[in-house]
Amino acid sequence: MFWRMVRGAVFRQRGRVLMIALTVALGASLATAMLGVMLDVGDKVNRELKTYGANINVIPKGASLLGDLYGVEDGSGVSDQYLPESELGSIKTIFWAFNIVDFAPYLDARAVLNGGGDVSLTGTWFDKRLELPTGETLVTGVRGMKSWWDVTGEWLAPGDTHAAMVGSAVAERNGLIAGDTISVGYAGRSVDFLVKGVFDAGGSEDDRIFVPLGAAQELTGREGRVSRIEVSALTTPDNELSRRAAQDPQSLSVKDWETWYCTAYVSAICYQIQEVIPGAIAKPIRQVAESEGAILEKTQFLMLLITVLSLAGSALGISNLVTASVMERSREIGLLKAIGAHNSPVSRLVLTETLAIAAIGGAAGYFAGLGFAQIIGQTVFGSAVEPKPMVAPIVAVLVVAVTLAGSIPSIRLLLSLRPAEVLHGR
Amino acid sequence: MKRQTMYLRMITSSLVRRRSRMIVALLAVAIGATILSGLVTIYYDIPRQMGQEFRSYGANMILTPSGGGRITPEDAARAAALIPPENAVGIAPYRYENIKINEQPFIAAGTELEGARGASPYWFVSGRWPEETGEALIGQEVADIIGIGPGGVFTLSGITADGDGFKGEFTVSGVVQTGGAEEAFVFMSLEALGDIAGGGGLDVVECSVSAPQTELEELAERIGAGTPGVTARLVRRVTQSEVTVLSKLQALVYLVTAVVLMLTMICVATTMMAVVAERRREIGLKKALGAPNGEIIREFLGEGLLLGGLGGLLGAILGFVFAHTVSINVFGRPILFKPLLVPVTMLVSIAVTGLSCLLPVRRATDVDPAIVLRGE
Repeated sequence: MFWRMVRGAVFRQRGRVLMIALTVALGASLATAMLGVMLDVGDKVNRELKTYGANINVIPKGASLLGDLYGVEDGSGVSDQYLPESELGSIKTIFWAFNIVDFAPYLDARAVLNGGGDVSLTGTWFDKRLELPTGETLVTGVRGMKSWWDVTGEWLAPGDTHAAMVGSAVAERNGLIAGDTISVGYAGRSVDFLVKGVFDAGGSEDDRIFVPLGAAQELTGREGRVSRIEVSALTTPDNELSRRAAQDPQSLSVKDWETWYCTAYVSAICYQIQEVIPGAIAKPIRQVAESEGAILEKTQFLMLLITVLSLAGSALGISNLVTASVMERSREIGLLKAIGAHNSPVSRLVLTETLAIAAIGGAAGYFAGLGFAQIIGQTVFGSAVEPKPMVAPIVAVLVVAVTLAGSIPSIRLLLSLRPAEVLHGR
Repeated sequence: MKRQTMYLRMITSSLVRRRSRMIVALLAVAIGATILSGLVTIYYDIPRQMGQEFRSYGANMILTPSGGGRITPEDAARAAALIPPENAVGIAPYRYENIKINEQPFIAAGTELEGARGASPYWFVSGRWPEETGEALIGQEVADIIGIGPGGVFTLSGITADGDGFKGEFTVSGVVQTGGAEEAFVFMSLEALGDIAGGGGLDVVECSVSAPQTELEELAERIGAGTPGVTARLVRRVTQSEVTVLSKLQALVYLVTAVVLMLTMICVATTMMAVVAERRREIGLKKALGAPNGEIIREFLGEGLLLGGLGGLLGAILGFVFAHTVSINVFGRPILFKPLLVPVTMLVSIAVTGLSCLLPVRRATDVDPAIVLRGE
């Protein structure tokens, strides 16, 4: 009899049922979408922040940054150290391989341009297709890492061997434009390059000429060697543990060490890169690593607060509506009481009905919310938002709590009314 | 005149007499309006607030000498004066001199330490920043090579561009790690460098300015035009990336706002519909007494508008509190109050409540009063 009454209420009063179900569905879809986006926003923004370029610099042990400052390159003993190019693929085999977004090797040399002045020459990968030891292939290089370069002309394609990209400062000094041919000399040898593009990087790179790594190695006679590697990795913001570890990993307890090693701190990733590339030192570029952490934290917190507050708002809205629709049933409840129903079966009946309707609405809303989250992900970041399994139980609990919160006070209010008055229409 | 008083009395008494129902409806409108005004305020304030956070990337504009030579301190001061002080996060002038410590070559950088701290917040200093003229901050690489740490004393020597030798003794106040070329520098105050190496111009001025890219470009042009000895250049890597990330973030909040807004509007509309729908008997009674449809609709609309206006006003105030709470918690800064949002929120809530009243009232007025009154 109880269930027949519930069924009857659900099916006969279709309009009102639809309204509650719709509202609950809307609230549930909102909750699903917001939670989904919130849980994924860190990852997404982290990828966007990669436009700031590399956050880890890998140099050979013993090499010095002084080369950058004085232009001392060969024979002075400070920057004669190199890393083997063959080991580069193993960067993608470390514990946090999945977090390595891009990397590019560089071979720096000072060369003579067109038989005249000195120029800094850098050999690198532009759009390199790399076969990894794991059997996967990866496309990486400066094209992805230097997204802020403003290029007049074109980027070098993977097949180009004797083409170059010239920094705007060099181009201005020597009157070069895309399409010119330059001759670059090194230790008596000289090779011609076709200028395919001129770039404006707004920094020290404007003073350089970039050529394919192979061509630079051939010209300088340093086959298979690179002078440094820039790595762009997704990292977790630093905390006290990672700071301690950055000073000296050996000082940590075994448990702390494991936590540190298995978290994507920039210092842990640096440590792991040093493990796979012999004779290398990996240093975080603090300007990028530190700021990324700060911005990431703020964004996540912002989304969290917006989510919580708008969830609270929609919860209030829904329970409000549930209250309104339960109050509407005063006559029905009055009649039930008049023919002798006790308080507890009446409230059970109304609660079961409302919860059944809310469950249907909540389920529909959950799937609609998954769709909303995808729309947001695709529009803003151009990639799908990963559905997280933990969202479903949260939404379910939320729906039940909101429905109960909305119906219990109004049921109590109705039960306190006198049946005769209600039926009379007061 | 009489008609109007009667009309007003009917509206207010229907709001006051059916107090509990009207509070439910008012609450719904106010919640919707709160979310609307709160999220929109946050949306508009994000570039400003996040822009501040992005300044942790350091300088986004550098001033270099126009021709050869150096920037004179007067030119630097004149250029710096063109940057609005409320937007300047840090302005750090640098003067570089080649020096030697223990016969190893390094670079000494004289700067305004307070400005450098603001312009390069990502520097990780073990120890502390220099406080007196006899103290210096050394890069990690310098510390490794000459083997001293905070508290150590070193002597540096060098030759100025004019060919005069200089010498000075400094105490290490701290060691700085940046992961960049700065690790091979020795930092000290401009006065300290001036004391030992004599007066001289500046090589570069790093500016960290909190402003969107277009404003920065204008600022760079103004500085170039106002001080002929100085060229202002944007650090493209920082400005470009900031634009990318900020626009994505704003788009995200925009979409979230749109979705939340749509849902709360529907919530408000359904609540209003439920509230009006239960007054079918009242409408029937009025019709039976001879009230024309237009008058009934006007009356309900008036109620809706009053409710919408009240709820909107309440929501605009609560929304500001909401946005302020978020801003204080996330960024630790108060949010800007947008006065325009108050009328806009009120108008939107009036429109939504008005429209959502209209639909059920229309339906109720269409039916035969006798049927409604009978309770079908």
